[in-house]
Amino acid sequence: MNDLEDFIALVRDELGVPVAVEDAGRALHDLPGWDSLHLLRLVTVLEARTGRSISVIDLLEAPSLEFIYGLAATG
Amino acid sequence: MSADASAAAELRDLADAGRLVAEYPRAGELVARLSGAELLRAGRLLARLDTEEISRAHPGTPLVTIGVTGHGTLGALAPALTAQLARHGLVARPVLADFDNYVFDLLDPAGKLNAARPDLVLCVLDPMIVFDEVPVPWRPEDVERAAADKIGLLERLAARFAETPGTLVLNTMPLLRGHTGQLVDHRSRARLGAVWREANTRLLRLAEDNPSVVVLDLDPIVAQGVPVSDERLSIYAKAHLTDDLLFAYAAEIGHLARQLTGRSKKCLVLDLDNTLWGGVLGDDGVEGIEVGDGYRGEAFLAFQQVVRQLGSQGVLVAAVSKNEPELVTRALREHPRMALRDQDFVRIIANWQPKHDNLNVLAETLGLSVDSFVFVDDSAFERELVRRELPGVAVVDIDGEPAWHRRSLLRDGWFDVREVTSEDRVRASRYRDETARKSFLDSFASTDDYLRELGVHVRIGPVTEAEVPRISQLTLRTNQFNLTADRLQPGDVLDLMKDPAALALAVHAGDRFGDHGLVGAVLARRDGDLLRIDNFLLSCRVFSRSIEEACLSWVLRHARDTGATSVVARYRETPKNRRVADFYPRHAFFPAGGEGDVLTFRHPLTEIMPPPPHIRFDEIHEGDRP
Repeated sequence: MNDLEDFIALVRDELGVPVAVEDAGRALHDLPGWDSLHLLRLVTVLEARTGRSISVIDLLEAPSLEFIYGLAATG
Repeated sequence: MSADASAAAELRDLADAGRLVAEYPRAGELVARLSGAELLRAGRLLARLDTEEISRAHPGTPLVTIGVTGHGTLGALAPALTAQLARHGLVARPVLADFDNYVFDLLDPAGKLNAARPDLVLCVLDPMIVFDEVPVPWRPEDVERAAADKIGLLERLAARFAETPGTLVLNTMPLLRGHTGQLVDHRSRARLGAVWREANTRLLRLAEDNPSVVVLDLDPIVAQGVPVSDERLSIYAKAHLTDDLLFAYAAEIGHLARQLTGRSKKCLVLDLDNTLWGGVLGDDGVEGIEVGDGYRGEAFLAFQQVVRQLGSQGVLVAAVSKNEPELVTRALREHPRMALRDQDFVRIIANWQPKHDNLNVLAETLGLSVDSFVFVDDSAFERELVRRELPGVAVVDIDGEPAWHRRSLLRDGWFDVREVTSEDRVRASRYRDETARKSFLDSFASTDDYLRELGVHVRIGPVTEAEVPRISQLTLRTNQFNLTADRLQPGDVLDLMKDPAALALAVHAGDRFGDHGLVGAVLARRDGDLLRIDNFLLSCRVFSRSIEEACLSWVLRHARDTGATSVVARYRETPKNRRVADFYPRHAFFPAGGEGDVLTFRHPLTEIMPPPPHIRFDEIHEGDRP
């Protein structure tokens, strides 16, 4: 996962949510087909992908995909 | 690209092209190739489809409504169930109840869950269901009390559930290190372990006397290294069980759903060289193959023992092998260390024909559909060919490590049933008797002569309590001679027995070669001066002996003798039962309209055909008569 584009592709593949890079800054609840369970799945997927532990609280409170990418990228 | 990666890619292409609904059966075949994260991703793709649309496009694909309730956040189960059912050629319609609402969900007939009329209700239990009720600080006695209260509640819920249709699935609750570790002394820890297991034992025992309940034991899944809980997700999101565990749980539900819809696997078809023994029989000779001795020989022996164990519970075992038949027979008879002998197989096909052709021949001689086969072969080439030619066959991948054969075969619970019946234990020998019948048939000029000499006898009478599991099993396993494909769980059959207006009849048959056991059922209902035949079933093992005619004649005479003025019977077409579409019209029933996809037929009882002359009715005691 090298950049935001990779991350968005991962969200599309792993969660099946049809998002594009332009959606990265939008509020999560405005994304089509989004629900809070996707965040739980993202914890598992991102930790497996990056090999790092991420803050679940921060992730659960994240406003946007862009913010989550920041969490995953910085660890 | 590996076969699985190409299946995943094809599935994504179908999704991108918006073809998943139109190509749902193909999607199911592709999903069957996937595992782990790929399988879950496929579930997410399929979970977005409209189940009603799939059903409209593929009316032959069974839809299974699954109610999901429990203590924690269980949303991850929906895509997991969708994927697991798709791989068995089914459509899952998951109905998720509100968070931690299981008591109400199970009790309220008009609630969201029951209103969906689920075929299966999953009440998913996790350790927090007990520990949320334990005071702080706590001792093992507190856990014992809280667990006893909960299990008592679940017992009452299960008893109430028995009055509604469908099957309730409960599960054992794994004990977490995060709980045992809070007790600093080993004596208390051991006591907690005992208390906890007593609670789980009570749960497991619920399935013994409640025919509507299935209890999944999660311990064997956890013992394989599937993590139970992620504390962060448990505390922050009330997701008390991991996605991995829910996914493994969903796999078990897939097997249950397969059985509910009459798609259970019946026959295990094995390759021989490097599958059942090490080495190549044609090259190494009977003495040279590896079984029983040496490292690899031990592994093959262990695999054979598992096959024999499955065979003892009603799984038919057959061999399909590229080999010389005489050599195979000699190996199975003479090799000193085999656990399986030639008489353990219902059929051994050894020749040089393509395996899919041999599987078709095998299906025909056994009177089964290839869809009920599980095929095991160490050759990837043979497996791919069978997958491509016969997509309904479940193919088990094994490789060059024979110690893993056993795990590969058992991983998917292909032969899981609710209960093994006495019929299952003798099934293989009954199929073998069939070989003797066939050679007997060959000695006659006409079928009529043959039938006269075969000495078929039939006994028809009310279902007894001991026969309930077998009657349910007939409705679940029988596809060809099943006039409506109504599937009944053991609890449904018990309800029929208790209903004074219902007439549930069991059909037993035998002949000069032996007893066939309980081979058929007539499920009827009195409605004023009508007798309504709701369903009529006959095991494919006893086709072509006119047993069904004899039974129909019996039922019609019984109806007339007990005051009925006509008999109304139902037929619903399925992909498998077209051969019986004209069963009622052929026997003097008139079309009487229908309702939805059910056709009805009426017999006026003015003239009743006599039973076929070659069939003898066995007497049953007067007291047994309905």
